[in-house]
Amino acid sequence: MKRAMLVLEDGLVFEGESFGAEGEVFGEVVFNTSMVGYQEILTDPSYKRQIVVMTYPLIGNYGVNYDDVESSIPQVEGFVIKELSPVVSNYRSKQSLGEYLYDNAVPGIQGIDTRKLVTHLRDNGVKRGVISTIDLDADSLLQKVINSPEMTGRDLVKEVTTFESYQFDETLLPEFTWPLLELKKREVFNIVCIDSGIKRNILRKLNQHGFKVTVVSATDTYEDIMSKNPDGVFLSNGPGDPAACDYLVETVKQLIGKVPIFGICLGHQILALALGGQTYKLKFGHRGANHPVMDLETRKVEITAQNHGFCVDVDSLDSKDIEVTHINLNDKTCEGFRHKRHPLFSVQYHPESSPGPHDSDYLFERFHQLIKNNQASGQKV
Amino acid sequence: METEVIKKILDAEGMDRVITRISHEILEKSKGTENLVIVGIERGGAILAERFRKKISLIENVIIPKGSIDITLYRDDIGEVGTQPLMKGTHLEFDISGKKVVLVDDVLFTGRTVRSALDALVDFGRPQWVRLAVLLDRGHRELPIRADYVGKNIPTALEEEVVVHFEEKDAMDEVYVARKK
Repeated sequence: MKRAMLVLEDGLVFEGESFGAEGEVFGEVVFNTSMVGYQEILTDPSYKRQIVVMTYPLIGNYGVNYDDVESSIPQVEGFVIKELSPVVSNYRSKQSLGEYLYDNAVPGIQGIDTRKLVTHLRDNGVKRGVISTIDLDADSLLQKVINSPEMTGRDLVKEVTTFESYQFDETLLPEFTWPLLELKKREVFNIVCIDSGIKRNILRKLNQHGFKVTVVSATDTYEDIMSKNPDGVFLSNGPGDPAACDYLVETVKQLIGKVPIFGICLGHQILALALGGQTYKLKFGHRGANHPVMDLETRKVEITAQNHGFCVDVDSLDSKDIEVTHINLNDKTCEGFRHKRHPLFSVQYHPESSPGPHDSDYLFERFHQLIKNNQASGQKV
Repeated sequence: METEVIKKILDAEGMDRVITRISHEILEKSKGTENLVIVGIERGGAILAERFRKKISLIENVIIPKGSIDITLYRDDIGEVGTQPLMKGTHLEFDISGKKVVLVDDVLFTGRTVRSALDALVDFGRPQWVRLAVLLDRGHRELPIRADYVGKNIPTALEEEVVVHFEEKDAMDEVYVARKK
């Protein structure tokens, strides 16, 4: 048994067993409340430079397959779990979680009291941390963590965005085609998706709902995007501090009012910044597949998949133009807004789920409708 | 001077078990790690304090601050004994005021070392309380001092010597009683 150590910047220390790769990694330690879906979580680019703790105690029982990845490689820095399932059993499983992390050089630590760790993070906020199998001296690790960079003010979008633009056309996996099989024959709109670290299932969902998607880099300018003559623009999820992505905010500023825009997660925050709002860091963020969100218009509550550490400050937005459409029922923070004059709306959570419930699927439909209405009213430039 | 080993007291495993037990006792009596600091007396005590600290860190998942004190200048026999011990310096990375201090030494003998350490300690502030943890108590006190946590009580004669070796400085962990030949 190889030992590993996890140390937080405020002096919390855990000794456990190493799994996956060996090494020493630094990142913001965050927790995810999903019971399953670890493969999607590991490969979600929004987890860049973060060490993810799973609150569910047993992880890895269905192994790893080739279909469930949200990007080509694991994006997390490190993975923390209570217990790695020694038995892997699933018809799609190609390898065990431990082997997968080993192949992709992601260190994991298991056998620690994750309940204590998560309670601490919940009470004291997310912390920087380190997982190490090389250095097992708590004091020296603590020193290294204190010297590691903070998440606030960090632009991580440039680390995960695509270099070249590409067309995305992929059919959904059979289990995801529900409940929208009847949508196959419909008007198809061309949209540009600005990739700040997109998850593949968002693209699949957009395809499924009748969008022809061109994915472009987050560093592409307004002119680059408009030259593709899009019917709409989609702003993807992504990692890091939105306030640090000034180039992206600038591009979006120019797009507002010109084309219909739909943003999720980081895209939502970028949109808020482009509209003159502010974002702030949440104490411990929202990460998991069980966050209740209320649609203030329909008063319907949906259970959503979320992954964000920053949040839009509602008070900073001009209420004459902006209407808050969704709130998180756990802490009443803003989860979605729309513009009263321009064709744009955004949500903080992940309607594509993956992993998570499909409650919010209607938002892709809403985007389709928004573009349709926009073209009908002849506003298209 | 030649010495002869009379009795082995602890080996590496035995020493680790004692440290584990005392760590739990410290935690139990101090009701957790809040304001708790472990201060070792240079030099054996400091090594031992570091071991307690590491053990407690892993039991409670909290890194507690470290400290060691050098009592060279507080000894009541300073200037009387022939060879002067090397000064190691006092290292306290925290304010001692209001802290629950566990003072650590390897062997409790006359009690004079501990008295000096207490003198040194109060020069840095006013702790909430101070308790004493020792690996070995060999008796023969000359001052009214007792330990709160004792690894092993070993009856010794005055002319005998208790030898404590630590891996950190002597390559192996062991404790034995020796007598000068």
